[in-house]
Amino acid sequence: MIAWALPMAANAQAADQGVIERGAYLARVGDCVACHTAPDGKEYTGGLAIESPFGTIYSSNITPDKQTGIGDYSEEQFARAVRDGVRADGAHLYPAMPYPSYAKTTDADIHALYVYFMHGVEPVNHRPEQTDLNFPFNQRWAIAMWNWLFTEDEVFQPDPNRSDQLNRGAYLVEGLGHCGSCHTPRGFAQQLKGFDASDEDYLAGADLNDWLAPALRGKGESGRGVVDWSEQDIVDLLATGRNAYTAVSGEMTSVVANSTSHLNDQDIHAIAAYLKSIPAHTGQAGGSASKAASPDKSDIAESGTEAKLASARDLSEGERLYLDNCNACHFTDGKGAGHIFPMLDGNSLVNADNPTGLIHTILAGAEMPSTPKAPESVSMPGFAWRLSDQEVADIATFVRGAWSNDAAAVTADQVAEVRKTLPEHSFSVSPGYRSTGRDQQPTSGEQLKGGAPVEDDQ
Amino acid sequence: MSSMPDDEQRRDFMRRSLTLIPAVSLGSGVTLTASAAEEPPALADYQPSFFNTDEWQFILAACDQLIPSDEHGPGALETNVPIFIDKELYGPFGHADRWYMQGPFITDGDPELGYQLPYTPRELYRHGIAAVERYCQQEHDKAFSALDAATRDDILGRLEQDKIDFAALDAAPLTAGVFFSFLWQNIREGYFADPIYGGNKHMGAWKMIGFTGARANFREWVEQHNVPYPLGPVSLSGERG
Repeated sequence: MIAWALPMAANAQAADQGVIERGAYLARVGDCVACHTAPDGKEYTGGLAIESPFGTIYSSNITPDKQTGIGDYSEEQFARAVRDGVRADGAHLYPAMPYPSYAKTTDADIHALYVYFMHGVEPVNHRPEQTDLNFPFNQRWAIAMWNWLFTEDEVFQPDPNRSDQLNRGAYLVEGLGHCGSCHTPRGFAQQLKGFDASDEDYLAGADLNDWLAPALRGKGESGRGVVDWSEQDIVDLLATGRNAYTAVSGEMTSVVANSTSHLNDQDIHAIAAYLKSIPAHTGQAGGSASKAASPDKSDIAESGTEAKLASARDLSEGERLYLDNCNACHFTDGKGAGHIFPMLDGNSLVNADNPTGLIHTILAGAEMPSTPKAPESVSMPGFAWRLSDQEVADIATFVRGAWSNDAAAVTADQVAEVRKTLPEHSFSVSPGYRSTGRDQQPTSGEQLKGGAPVEDDQ
Repeated sequence: MSSMPDDEQRRDFMRRSLTLIPAVSLGSGVTLTASAAEEPPALADYQPSFFNTDEWQFILAACDQLIPSDEHGPGALETNVPIFIDKELYGPFGHADRWYMQGPFITDGDPELGYQLPYTPRELYRHGIAAVERYCQQEHDKAFSALDAATRDDILGRLEQDKIDFAALDAAPLTAGVFFSFLWQNIREGYFADPIYGGNKHMGAWKMIGFTGARANFREWVEQHNVPYPLGPVSLSGERG
């Protein structure tokens, strides 16, 4: 009896292990950890403060702890929470949880996620800060109305006219990957304007906390960003946070670090193929099809900027500051170096209507994520300590009009506003003197004591 | 992707990097500077943090003697070199923070063994200046700073050639040669280092030799022949010279 039962138990466990691993992988795709972990907290224990137009929303503990987590959830309740945004007690989750996208997740994948969160995650007893919005946003029942108006709750249906790869890509992008949460513009009620490629607003680019989440619609002749990239360029960016043109910045840095860099090659290629299959259109943010900029193309404006910088004569203030501060890495042609220094010519962040992301990058610097395939976190130092608001404005204005770029000028007031938002530690530091700690007392006037070796103040 | 750039990319990057000193990370253990290009202090107004008043007079006189102001460019005093040395000794270098400072101290070994004294640079300066002042009192009945230029020159020459007996001046195991080599090294550092460290005021030394400062990349100049480079230097804090 015992001899018969043991191998069965072992098999069951092995099967479970496979499901747990698949669930763990899907949790990577969904990037659950990004929102459900506080800056210094344990994984999945919640408490991250998410700024929304309605107030601060705190994420919940999704470890299988029975008291403070989701340990008492049945698989059905879990599915309701992930796909419909409804808690076990029936209350509605705020749509900071991307359930409008997760709704597309298949039953099999929900099952794997459930098994992973129940058996692959350590239960942690921790009650994070509770969300407490002001009226009327504390009326969670109203979310039901919002859901009815603005969300679709259908599980993903493969399109028989598309290849398996494109269907897989669409499933990942539209569903767990929830790319649209940031890259699709939102309407008057903060609802996403589209959930799949059939809608022309879908992935058309959006402003995310003043930072450009560029258009991801990649099929077209020429433009800026994804539309000009090859499938491999997209794969590179998702796998390593950098490609021949640019590097990720802002929120996308954490998405690459926590999620996309862990996906298998097949899935990343499926995502890239799907994005390249969605037609771009003029007017999409950070990728309008009329603006040309690529490594092979040049026009008079580009060579004009390059020649001016190379001659280093009769420079405007912006040009001079570019040579003194930026040229070391981004070069006179504004093309940087692939996978190392982002190209400024044609860069979607540089050309964004809202210059906040560019200003922030100049002030605070940037750091690429360290990924399994590209571990080096190449970083740009911040210049907040070195440049005045006016100087940052001059540089930003220059690069937004240099080469083939054509974005509006930036003012010192705009820079001052961004500078106010920076925490002090995000400032790069100057290579000055560090205090040794023991030099707090003035040491001037230390005297020799009778010719004996000096007792230094060590 | 292939996470390694292919050969063409690598070649391209190498080409682009040839004339580039990457300024990617500026190091750690440093302090936040509130405003970048602060006007450097006037030497006369500076209150030394490490040197006492008498020592300060010695440093001023020695700096002036070793790098005087002349028709080629500014001197060590005009460029705040004494302030650089004071700050340098006040900071981690002065405390030999990153040196191995335990015995044995082999003072009669090969020069390849490197610095072999039990003194931190702060202690070394304190002992060295005291010994020189004792010597000046014995020989000339004056402080070093009160001597005429020719006599100062003579004394500095003797120090350099290790011809003043520091043991007789109660300064052993320090020797005149070691003291002078520190002094001369630190004066040159203060003269040519970036102004952010206190010396090289307004990049006077860089302007004198035509150094372009911390601009880091001159790739576009590699193939511009017989064209004078039109820009003056720029410092780490962004000051232009």
